[in-house]
Amino acid sequence: MSEFPALTEDEFRKLCEFLYRRTGMIFTETKRYYVERRVVERMVATSADSFSSYFTRLRANLGGEIEQFVNAFTVNETYFYREDHQLKCLTSDLLAQRILDRKHGDAIRIWSVPCSTGEEPYSIAMWLLENWSLVDNYEIEIVGSDIDTKVLEIAREGIFGKRALMRLTPEIITTYFSQLDEFRWQIIEDLRDSVRLGPVNIVEQNETRPYGQFDVIFCRNVLIYFDDASRRIAAENLYENLLPGGFICLGHAESMSRISPLFEVARFADAIVYQRPFNRGTHVA
Amino acid sequence: MSPDKKTVLVVDDSNLVRLYYRSILETAGFHIEEALNGLEALEKLLTTPADLLIVDVNMPQMDGFTFLTVLRRKEVPISGIPALVTSTEASQQDFDAARHAGANFYLVKPLDEKTLVEFASMLTGGAA
Amino acid sequence: MPLIRKSGGDTRKPDADPVSVLTALVNGNPDERWAAARAAVHVTGGVDALETALASEVDPRVREAIFTSLIRIGSAQSVNAIIPLLKLDDASIRTGALDALRAMPAAVRERLPELLNDRDSDVRILSCEIVRGLPGEEATSILCTLLAHEPEANVCAAAIEVLSEVGGADAIPDLDRCAARFPGISFLSFAIKIARDRILTQLTDKHV
Repeated sequence: MSEFPALTEDEFRKLCEFLYRRTGMIFTETKRYYVERRVVERMVATSADSFSSYFTRLRANLGGEIEQFVNAFTVNETYFYREDHQLKCLTSDLLAQRILDRKHGDAIRIWSVPCSTGEEPYSIAMWLLENWSLVDNYEIEIVGSDIDTKVLEIAREGIFGKRALMRLTPEIITTYFSQLDEFRWQIIEDLRDSVRLGPVNIVEQNETRPYGQFDVIFCRNVLIYFDDASRRIAAENLYENLLPGGFICLGHAESMSRISPLFEVARFADAIVYQRPFNRGTHVA
Repeated sequence: MSPDKKTVLVVDDSNLVRLYYRSILETAGFHIEEALNGLEALEKLLTTPADLLIVDVNMPQMDGFTFLTVLRRKEVPISGIPALVTSTEASQQDFDAARHAGANFYLVKPLDEKTLVEFASMLTGGAA
Repeated sequence: MPLIRKSGGDTRKPDADPVSVLTALVNGNPDERWAAARAAVHVTGGVDALETALASEVDPRVREAIFTSLIRIGSAQSVNAIIPLLKLDDASIRTGALDALRAMPAAVRERLPELLNDRDSDVRILSCEIVRGLPGEEATSILCTLLAHEPEANVCAAAIEVLSEVGGADAIPDLDRCAARFPGISFLSFAIKIARDRILTQLTDKHV
């Protein structure tokens, strides 16, 4: 692959501009190498002989190239404690804000959507049990949803290979998994029972509404696949699924700034997240 | 980025406009950051301080006036960053809207090199 | 384990009683108007009600929801309801309208020639952005036609901006003629040079 030249500055700029407008993904100069590697991979896969012929294909979305390209940034990334800076942010800042008006025993609701094969909702459960000292004071409900019922079945079984466990310490693995054989570990029943799983299409209000309102939603790497119209509908659905003041966490390259003006951006030590404002109608945007 | 350079955040949805301002202002000794709309600018300002904002009016998701209105209500120092609004509209109404939103200056596009450097220097007290 | 156990979900159904939706869209509080704006997609007469509500809605989030519902309906009437807003003085409504039109390229396509010839130069500028969503060849052809006669430098700039992403070789002569028409405007010279370079790189690459 090394025979391909790196992108020129202007090509990189043009690509970033297109990706941002089309998907809401933001790449700065610091991510340049990472983006270039993905471009080269996709150029090889599509037999493109130059960046510009690849860009033409991407722009016209031939053979679903936009989805393919975006996939190159997101696949093979489902493992436990992925993007743990957001989990740190959850316990150090987001929940602290959410419990300000809560009593002992009140519900705290967290939604992982899409949850794929379950690594994310189980990660949230383990992280809270391990890292949030107030975990016993509240009724914490963790819900995982996905449009694909096949992945939900896998999530329900809770059986994972070594790769998914790579970021976990041996202590955590011993506490929350039982080893089935040399290659497979299963989430213990107690933890499996504490995560509610169900199907949802986040572009369908009739499907999102029954899940009710949440304190925090993790919605990573899905809005980037939508067109403008679907993205607006999904953003409005997610807005309704958040309690006023509730937070939404997106994927590492995603920004709500291209997706929807409904939310306000909030910066914490470990992450940038988006918030449903407390009083709708009193704020200009 | 040199620590003594002044940072200009260019908020404009036109890629070529941002590139034009960048090429001129970098030559004049400024450090440039870019945002494509008001929302992205608000997000960027959380992590990257700026000494001057050059703000377009019509932009997707959040226009320049809404951006400045939101910004001016935030805490200092972020709320006090000087802002130069640039627009394709030359009417008194737009001028008034810009002033009301918290713009320090209002210029009608397209800008030339001399004007851009002059205003950027004036509003930041010089490039460095 | 303190995490709570699985339980059944909330099974509320969305409210779609047409009369109450249409009443709430105008008379409700912001939360009710928001919900009604979203429900209006499923209600007969919804597009008329959305069009009326759009004219008086002051809450930006409710306005977003109205725009989204008009996009979902996606009819010529939706487009007709939104286009006049491109001419309003309020920049937030103007750009909200543009975002909405951009999200419904198929429905707005046949109105593009008229929009690109509108007397208001800002409508022409905003309309160039809608062209960005079309296939490359069609977009190039539309924007080159515009460039050939457009008297306003800022409209040309908007067309060149889009051409720098989508343009093909056909655009080069029109870009050159445009540069010759506005020799004194340094931004246009700069923009045309970049657009030209981007298009030419593509051509050179293709012949390698």
